[in-house]
Amino acid sequence: MPAGSSASTRRSANSEGDPPIATPRARAPREREGWLALPLALYFCLFFLAPLVLLAGISLRVTPQLEGVGLAQYARFAGDPFNWSVLWQTLLIGVKTVALTACIGIPLGLLFMETARRLQPILLFVIVLPLLTSVVVRTFAWMVILGREGLVNNALTALGVISTPLRLLHTELGLVVSLSQIEMPLMLLPLISVMSRLDPNLKDASAALGAGRWRTLFRVTLPLSLPGLLAGCLLVFASSVTAFVSQTIIGGGRMVLMPFYLWQQATTLFNWPFAATIGMVLLGAVLSVVTTLNALGRRSRALVHG
Amino acid sequence: MSTPALTRRTLLAGGAVLATTTLLPRPARAAGRIVAPVYPGPWEEAYRAVVLPAVKKTQDVDTVLTPLLALDQVAKVKASRSAPPFDVFLLDPGPVVVAVEDGLIEKFDPSRCKNIMHLQKSFYDDWGVSVAAQIVGIAYNPKKVERPKGWKDLFEPKYYGKVGISGFGTTFGTSSLIEISKQYGGSMTNVDPAFEQLKKWLPHVGVIAQNPVAVNTLFQQGQMDVTYTNFQTVSTLKGRGVDIEFVKPDTGPIAFYTTLHVVKNAANRDNAYKYIDTILSTEVQAALQKPPYNLLSVNKNVPLQPDMPADLVKSHAELASFVHHDWRVIAPLRAGWIERFNKEIRQ
Amino acid sequence: MARQTTAGDLSYRVVLGLLSAVALLILITPVVVVIITSFTDSRSLRFPPPAYSLRWYSALFDPVQSAQIHTAAWNSLVIAVAATAISVVLGTAAALAISGRRTWWTQTLDAVFMSPLILPTLAFGLAALMFFSTLRLRLSLPLMIVGHVAVVVPFILRTTIASLSQLDRGLLDTSSSLGASGIYTFWRVTLPAIRPGILAGAFIAFMASLDNVSVSLFLAGPENDVLPIRMWGMLESQLDVRTAAVSGVLIFTTAILVVVMDRIVGLTRRIS
Repeated sequence: MPAGSSASTRRSANSEGDPPIATPRARAPREREGWLALPLALYFCLFFLAPLVLLAGISLRVTPQLEGVGLAQYARFAGDPFNWSVLWQTLLIGVKTVALTACIGIPLGLLFMETARRLQPILLFVIVLPLLTSVVVRTFAWMVILGREGLVNNALTALGVISTPLRLLHTELGLVVSLSQIEMPLMLLPLISVMSRLDPNLKDASAALGAGRWRTLFRVTLPLSLPGLLAGCLLVFASSVTAFVSQTIIGGGRMVLMPFYLWQQATTLFNWPFAATIGMVLLGAVLSVVTTLNALGRRSRALVHG
Repeated sequence: MSTPALTRRTLLAGGAVLATTTLLPRPARAAGRIVAPVYPGPWEEAYRAVVLPAVKKTQDVDTVLTPLLALDQVAKVKASRSAPPFDVFLLDPGPVVVAVEDGLIEKFDPSRCKNIMHLQKSFYDDWGVSVAAQIVGIAYNPKKVERPKGWKDLFEPKYYGKVGISGFGTTFGTSSLIEISKQYGGSMTNVDPAFEQLKKWLPHVGVIAQNPVAVNTLFQQGQMDVTYTNFQTVSTLKGRGVDIEFVKPDTGPIAFYTTLHVVKNAANRDNAYKYIDTILSTEVQAALQKPPYNLLSVNKNVPLQPDMPADLVKSHAELASFVHHDWRVIAPLRAGWIERFNKEIRQ
Repeated sequence: MARQTTAGDLSYRVVLGLLSAVALLILITPVVVVIITSFTDSRSLRFPPPAYSLRWYSALFDPVQSAQIHTAAWNSLVIAVAATAISVVLGTAAALAISGRRTWWTQTLDAVFMSPLILPTLAFGLAALMFFSTLRLRLSLPLMIVGHVAVVVPFILRTTIASLSQLDRGLLDTSSSLGASGIYTFWRVTLPAIRPGILAGAFIAFMASLDNVSVSLFLAGPENDVLPIRMWGMLESQLDVRTAAVSGVLIFTTAILVVVMDRIVGLTRRIS
């Protein structure tokens, strides 16, 4: 063994993989790791943050030819009630999707917790598969389901419930239902993750103290699952608000929502400053909702952990 | 001390990336190459079937076709003027005005296309050359609805819930809406009557497509049975077995010419001229005109009969009698109309 | 202690059972519908299909007819592999730095690195287009890869940080007290322990890149056509039923990959 006193580590002569001798001067691993984040941080600065800063900059240009600097585009956005209604409708679609997804997703999550261990992987597979299938594929599926000659209409006609096909495609209901399927895994996964870490004794204690199943659900299980629930709501909201493909294909031409509006301004009307403004407004809106939910999440976590 | 292990990993990863990029399909060095946009749908089908092989055979040039609407093409070139993503423009009259004003088109040199002699002088100018004529009218499903006669019929009660419309994003859409406006007292520059009529009729709308190409699929799926569109769309869909027929509106069908241009700073300018020349040739024009593509030719040697139905149009001279719009006047107004359409039609 | 089944119990079971059945139905039906539709014989999207055949699959695999679909699929694959590879390197390094430490800058970095999951990536796609255009760069495959990395790296970060948090720090301390250098400890102790987490994240990142629309929409060009955009175009402009066949292939491949990854790294456990 080489007697070592130099400041650097050296590999031993034995190439079998004996650990090299660390000298007393070597720092503990944890303290050296900080700079490891630097490559990704640089990457983000250059290719994520810089473009967003540029977006903000372009939104401050006054004319479509990118001349002048000012808040004219924002004033234009704020001044027309149409723009506010587009923003509002988009956010509302997000809220409705979250509501529907939560209403049917929470029961599914509870079902998962009560399923036999053996069946859980199968259920998880069913939940995860849509997440990993292409969003275009899933949107296409809903076209087939909701179309005039699609699954729902043909089934209802065959059962004699209706005589003329219902219009399901290009409606808000159709959009919200299809979005909730497309985003449901995003709600279920955090929910299940939190629920599976709940202390089962709490539920038993609640039952032993005489609370019915409903009471246990609303007073014990749900409040304790709140962090997971909020995380799920956050992800579903963010995803459904920006689901361009689904909104356009299933929502149809009469629904002018923020993603389409941004696209139209950028590519059909070549008005980059206004398109950038729409982008910034969308970013700001989603960010504020997310921050609020996050703050709620932190408080609920304090509640849970005392 | 530096970390040789991490550098090694980074090198490995970087090497993997480099290796994969070398696997990317490379353009054949022997043949020339051109990247050309084409309208999605019937146009793309026609060009893939007829133009691509012809260009390869006669000029030894490989074509990469990219489906893009006219306005989208202009947008993409605007986004990178100094290095445009394609070499030619395929445009309708409206976007041509925008592209010329913006300096995106290179001056056209007719002498570089030998097939230009087969065209009337009015079909080419300093900026580009016409490659096909389009006729716009009304399309309907003969199995489900009665034959409409004109623009006003679209709003008749018997068609409630069955009519589909698209907006001002395309030339055929804009032209149709202008014609509709004229029926109610408007003119080429005044589409207010059309908007008013739309607003009254909106409760009975069938379907509205912001993406005009979606009109084809919605028709096929039975989401709409009456709409306005151009003739080659109807032919192509009919060729595929869809129940659809074309109607010349009683006030006169609309006609305009689609043109090819060379993009400024194009990477393959010489091949661009070869591409254009091939499309203008008699063989290609004749092939494109045959059913199911039915892209009306501009070449003098290719008569419109018998490919075109006799009751539609008999000759180029007759085409001149159809409704034509002046796009230099319309183009500046279009942006406002698009935004107004957003507001009027939304739920 | 035994408890009688009360009316409350019954209503609880019924309501929750019903709602979860609805949820399961909504989750499964689209996937099943797409698979069935891909075997239709007609040109329309009527459901149930009037007749069945393999014609759309054979049209899809015909190299002449579907050349552009194959090119788009190949491009998507190349981009996904490259973006995932780069993200694994950058993301694992960052995860090592961030995991388990609660200083202000690690928390900020964590929030920033995770932000693409939450922020509208459509706006980012537009921003990327404007950025590259300002730099006068022609849109190409490498630029698309660059755009995708930012969007998929959060997935790898998440699973790797989760893996690191479950790592027994005692092992690391033992290793270093036995005299191993930091690198050795990483290579021989940490990495094998977190490898399943990295692989799970890499798998999700790969699928996310294959599926990405919001960035690809703006950065796609004639030279780098990608599969989701092409499928969307086919769907909207031609109602090409080959889309159903492509979907069938994608679903099938995804299902197999999920099962395989579950066996190897316990994928489904890790992302829940």
